[in-house]
Amino acid sequence: MSYLPCGTYFESYADDQKWWRTNFIKSKMIVMVVLLAAVPYLVGSQWMSVFYTINYYILAALGVQLLIGYCGQITLGHAAFVAVGGYTSAMMVLFLPWPQFMVDAGLVYPISIVCAGFAAAIWSVLFGLPSARVKGFYLIMTTMAAQWITLRLVITQLSKIGGREQSFPLPPGVIKIGPWVIDSDEKIYYFSVILVLICLVAMGNLLRSKIGRAWIAIRDNDIAAETMGVNIIVYKLLAFFVAGFFAGIAGAFWISALFFVSPENYEWFYSLLWVGIILIGGVGSIQGIVFGSAFVVLVFKFLEMGVLGLSDVLMTSYPEWGWVTTKIIFFKESVFGLAIIFFLIYEPNGISYRYWQIKNYFNLWPFSYTGK
Amino acid sequence: MELFLQLIVTGVMLGSIFALVSLGWVLIYKCSGVLNLAMGELTMIGGYVCLAFYQKFVTIMPVNYAFVLALIGTIFIGLILGLLTERVFLRKMIGEPVLAVIMVTVGLSFFFKGLVFMIWDTDTQVFLPRIFSIEPIVIWGITVGAVYLWSFIAAMILMVIFICFFKYTRWGLSMQACADDEMAALSLGVSAKFVYALAWAIAFMAAGVGGTLLGNINGLNYSVSSLGLLVLPAVVLGGLNSVPGAIVGGITIGILQNLAGGYGEAYIPGSKEVAPFVFMVIFLLFKPYGLWGWERIERV
Repeated sequence: MSYLPCGTYFESYADDQKWWRTNFIKSKMIVMVVLLAAVPYLVGSQWMSVFYTINYYILAALGVQLLIGYCGQITLGHAAFVAVGGYTSAMMVLFLPWPQFMVDAGLVYPISIVCAGFAAAIWSVLFGLPSARVKGFYLIMTTMAAQWITLRLVITQLSKIGGREQSFPLPPGVIKIGPWVIDSDEKIYYFSVILVLICLVAMGNLLRSKIGRAWIAIRDNDIAAETMGVNIIVYKLLAFFVAGFFAGIAGAFWISALFFVSPENYEWFYSLLWVGIILIGGVGSIQGIVFGSAFVVLVFKFLEMGVLGLSDVLMTSYPEWGWVTTKIIFFKESVFGLAIIFFLIYEPNGISYRYWQIKNYFNLWPFSYTGK
Repeated sequence: MELFLQLIVTGVMLGSIFALVSLGWVLIYKCSGVLNLAMGELTMIGGYVCLAFYQKFVTIMPVNYAFVLALIGTIFIGLILGLLTERVFLRKMIGEPVLAVIMVTVGLSFFFKGLVFMIWDTDTQVFLPRIFSIEPIVIWGITVGAVYLWSFIAAMILMVIFICFFKYTRWGLSMQACADDEMAALSLGVSAKFVYALAWAIAFMAAGVGGTLLGNINGLNYSVSSLGLLVLPAVVLGGLNSVPGAIVGGITIGILQNLAGGYGEAYIPGSKEVAPFVFMVIFLLFKPYGLWGWERIERV
């Protein structure tokens, strides 16, 4: 929460906790929604995939932010839960005998999204169970175990169904929501925006309810929270449940963008990436997820563009240096690792902290009373 | 029964490599409190560096000498890399939140992985000519691959050297002091910076040797780094801040992996990779601090 402009104050808690506290914030939000709706007309179609990838990362990192940033339970295996969501949704769409009227009405995929959420949530609670007893690095290890166990199970058990080797392709027209068939980048983008908005609002509302306050109490000091009457085991498991639910939705969404599911989309790398996203964006801040996702995806995109440009130049002007282009993909990974490291060293509070400072500067201008 | 014994013996020998690498991990954690997730990549780098040295040396001298020299070279490179890593990346993170430090090591793992593949490519590479004969050795009716036996011996020798180093040298004692109580150690004139640097250097050296041995068993490729990551369940089993725990944990993981590979694979494919993690999760439910980890007593 940033400081309000000078002279704005509230007389009740209800006013203070409102989504839109001032008309300015409200109009800002409306402008943002309009902008989001207009993005496909403003940017070229090759950028659509960048935008919906950002949205996917937001959805996936939402659960990580909830666990790490709001409940203090460090997780390094979130890709496992996303995988469970993705596979549940894909399996339901592909292999369940749906009645024809449901297929025609486009109910199959929406139902599978909800089921994917619940499946991932239950799977996540299973691996959250040790959190009742263990803390810190020991908990990190159990969530990491979730990653290994889930991915192995998926590869060895599920991938054999139907005789396919590794991936399950989704035939076109299967991903259908009501009357809309998701088949173009623009539709994927709009679908992702709607999901992200719903999930962010749900998360924001959860955080200002009793549940959210309990989570934050557990994060700040779980023993103190317990003495204050918070049932920490229930709330920790609830955090795992909700985080898993968001992960399941993310996974179910991502199959609509990829049109297939395959284990390599749920490597450990992604679990680490999402933790990196919330650290870059800012721990304990919903805006942080958005900033972090945008930062990571854009860095990847620019690195890719730079790398492609460089290899073009090399191929045409210096053919004897052509071998460099085969190595460039690893160069990208190295640079990305360094980017994370230096970001954490020089900007440890994340982007959302900078955003907060800038916003406050303008809110309080010209009479700054923060002292900084 | 014979299969069982053979699996156990090979498991102990494989586990001794894990134990060596876990030793390095625990050292970093004890001395500087950093939870290092880049251990797999450190292992992989060690293997590749040794391979490069070996390929250079083997042209001018007999195989055995070349390998020993390459191993020494790896240890030396590990020392330099460890000191550099600590100085450039980790020293700036002293006092930052735990999660940020973990993420820095994750960034390190991306960086090192990219670097290794940039230099050596992703294809599987093997130590040629072979250092250890393919002929298995039979001890009391149990057949053991020569690679495993020699790896076991090498790992044991190194572990004994490290433990003597901690117990009897001035530097080792200062590391112990720092691990025990950093504030008291600082006030008695132990340089924490030096201790951190030393811990990272030793971790790199141990991981380098471990990677070389693992590379000799199955060939060098990306899977060496996922084998190196198995030190994490090992240290958790033993308790994070216990050196004997790391050794016992490493050997347990080795045995478990072999048993799961020998018996479980027929029923549940993939159980070899999963078994250490499943065991660890169940184990933690009963002993939340591992075997000999310090129980944190928390106060509000």
